[in-house]
Amino acid sequence: MSRVLVAMSGGVDSSVAAALLVEEGHDVIGVTMKTFCYTGTGDHGKTCCGLDGIADARRVAVGLGIPHYVFDVEADFTRDVIDDFVAEYARGRTPNPCVRCNSFTKFQDLLRRGRALGCDAIASGHYVRMDRSGPEPALLRGLDRRKDQSYFLWGLPRDMLPLLHFPLGSLTKAEVRERARALSLATAEKPESQEICFVPTGDYRDLLRTRLGSTHPALEPGPVVDRTGSILGEHPGYAGFTVGQRKGFGGGFSEPMFVLEIQPDTRTVVVGTREELFSDALEVREVSWLTDPPPEGTTVRVQLRYRAADVPAVVTGCGETLDLRLQEEVAAVTPGQSAVVFADERVLGGGRIMDARRNAPRSVLQS
Amino acid sequence: MSSLYFDHAATTPLRDEVRAAMEPCLHGNFGNPSSIHRWGREAAAALDGARARVAEALGATPGEIFFVRGGTESDNLAVLGRTRRLVVDGHPPRVVVSSVEHKAVLAAADAALHGSDGVPATLRVGVDGSVDHDALADVLARGPCVVSVMWVNNETGMILPVPEIAARVSGSGSTFHTDAVQAVGKIPVRVDQVPVDLLTVTGHKIYGPRGTGVLFVRTGVEVAPLVHGGGQERGLRPGTEDVAGAVGMAEALQLAVLEQEAERTRLAALRDGLESRLGTLVPGLRVNAGDAPRAPHISSLGIPDVDGGILLGALDLEGVGASGGSACDSGAAKASHVLTALYGQADPLAALRLSLGRATTEADVDRAAQVVARVVERIRSGGVDR
Repeated sequence: MSRVLVAMSGGVDSSVAAALLVEEGHDVIGVTMKTFCYTGTGDHGKTCCGLDGIADARRVAVGLGIPHYVFDVEADFTRDVIDDFVAEYARGRTPNPCVRCNSFTKFQDLLRRGRALGCDAIASGHYVRMDRSGPEPALLRGLDRRKDQSYFLWGLPRDMLPLLHFPLGSLTKAEVRERARALSLATAEKPESQEICFVPTGDYRDLLRTRLGSTHPALEPGPVVDRTGSILGEHPGYAGFTVGQRKGFGGGFSEPMFVLEIQPDTRTVVVGTREELFSDALEVREVSWLTDPPPEGTTVRVQLRYRAADVPAVVTGCGETLDLRLQEEVAAVTPGQSAVVFADERVLGGGRIMDARRNAPRSVLQS
Repeated sequence: MSSLYFDHAATTPLRDEVRAAMEPCLHGNFGNPSSIHRWGREAAAALDGARARVAEALGATPGEIFFVRGGTESDNLAVLGRTRRLVVDGHPPRVVVSSVEHKAVLAAADAALHGSDGVPATLRVGVDGSVDHDALADVLARGPCVVSVMWVNNETGMILPVPEIAARVSGSGSTFHTDAVQAVGKIPVRVDQVPVDLLTVTGHKIYGPRGTGVLFVRTGVEVAPLVHGGGQERGLRPGTEDVAGAVGMAEALQLAVLEQEAERTRLAALRDGLESRLGTLVPGLRVNAGDAPRAPHISSLGIPDVDGGILLGALDLEGVGASGGSACDSGAAKASHVLTALYGQADPLAALRLSLGRATTEADVDRAAQVVARVVERIRSGGVDR
């Protein structure tokens, strides 16, 4: 029996994760991280986060007979996740805040505080698996491919893997709900949350306006152009766009137009046809590995968006920057998103997409 | 695992005697005191009895005792209600509070001045418990205001010079309120000896029921009600009375006052023992407001090189219930405005408040000191010690 710190968001997944650990006989401690204050702050700090998640997690913890604490990580979260989120949009890119949080805030903080609380393991309700059969623990995709969350975890520190437990990795969402009902957990029927936790309105542009000011260039009108530079119209602010996005350019084109690129220096949004969206090579930075880095020439599989299928790719450069040549073309490879590298089910590592291009000649592409 | 409750300044369990006193009001004597019939009459008699007992315990007359629904409500009624009354009488709203007040007073002071140009004036309190009397004199010279200074600070246990302040405010045309929530039962609190105008007490810090409180209003001092309704509590706090609560509050207060002297001596010895053990076991320990006069039940400690939130969790896991700065609603530890006022914004020490009570024994103090020392050591070494 070990003492396990389990991150409880107040959702059904982490509630069941905690319950399963208790069933296994561990000495379990639940924690909820307070990442963001939804309400304003009064003069004496009298308004405080009455987040439903915290109350739900605490209710489940008390029901399970385990201690529960709230960790205030707001300052770190703001610096590492929200500031980065805003800066990335200002750079014309599309960030993955959950990756940032898992890489820099959540698990690091759990580990630090968990140690102080006498814990020897850290757990969460992510749908991923740990395979401990080899010489080094391996992070694998969740068995339920529709729920698999490995895309968000490539940035975990490698040396933390031996301490991590993911009790839901071999379950389906339906099974998790069933367990929650069987255990009469307070959160059994709680709906899935899809939005970004610090964007309560559901529209990230509200947050950008608050944090950048509504006169920031990213939120000011700019030109919409095609690949030849011809001006096709005006957009209300490039931060509202993401590569691959289709809507928002009005009619009048002979075929549907998509965002190909955002050029923040000139506030330009470049659009083109679907055919122009495809790329077969990309450059990845801020690379992090959960195994030894794959040598050049290795064929890996790479996933370029959450819920997207992975595609085969060859490593053409691996150092501070990772260069990948895709074996099949992928549409709308988006700067700022994660490129996660797999060997079959196993997460090898990943990084942030800096740039994508098409190298193969057009004739080859069209064949 | 041992179970060591060291959070009596947060709340206390109900005393058996109090429960016994309340029991008849919950069943047989359940009437509404405003009713004309026998049931109502008996309930009214119980309420009157409770009022008389509270008055006796505080040195007041029964007509000066108003039952309200807790300490926060009592503080609000005093600060906000009295300021509103001053405004009705044609004065500008003016409020003075100490820098270490409870949020119930600070927020009520803000609310009292809402819509006016002013902000509450602050009387700085030193780590030695001193208050700037010259600043107070300046404020008083500028016309009628409401001065609110707590008697015993809830985070540090420091005793503020309430008798001196009351004497200065008395006769100045201003009004003096003191939050005595942490003072009753710990130090002598008598309104016939100290000329306060308004005084706040709550039941649950003295082994009485939760949600009960009293505002003492000296005869002749006018306060505007915050809640509007019938004529209960002479219109100052309308709403059908909580007779059982009032009876329980009265019983708890009488017992607390009766036992105050002996309990003060006993708790002070335990607290001194706790602090001297911790001083030896925990390097770098600071006793917050340690040189100020202090009530006997609170030990506020500053501990370097630990995270306050972790410390409280780690202590809980070892069976020690303590608190840090003031907790926010979510349960996350936040920097305390009181310790910030005393030690500055950049104070690097984590706050740990251990508060003692009736059930605390010397053995408890010994064990708590050992647990605190062990946990602090573990956190500082950044690892697992099991």
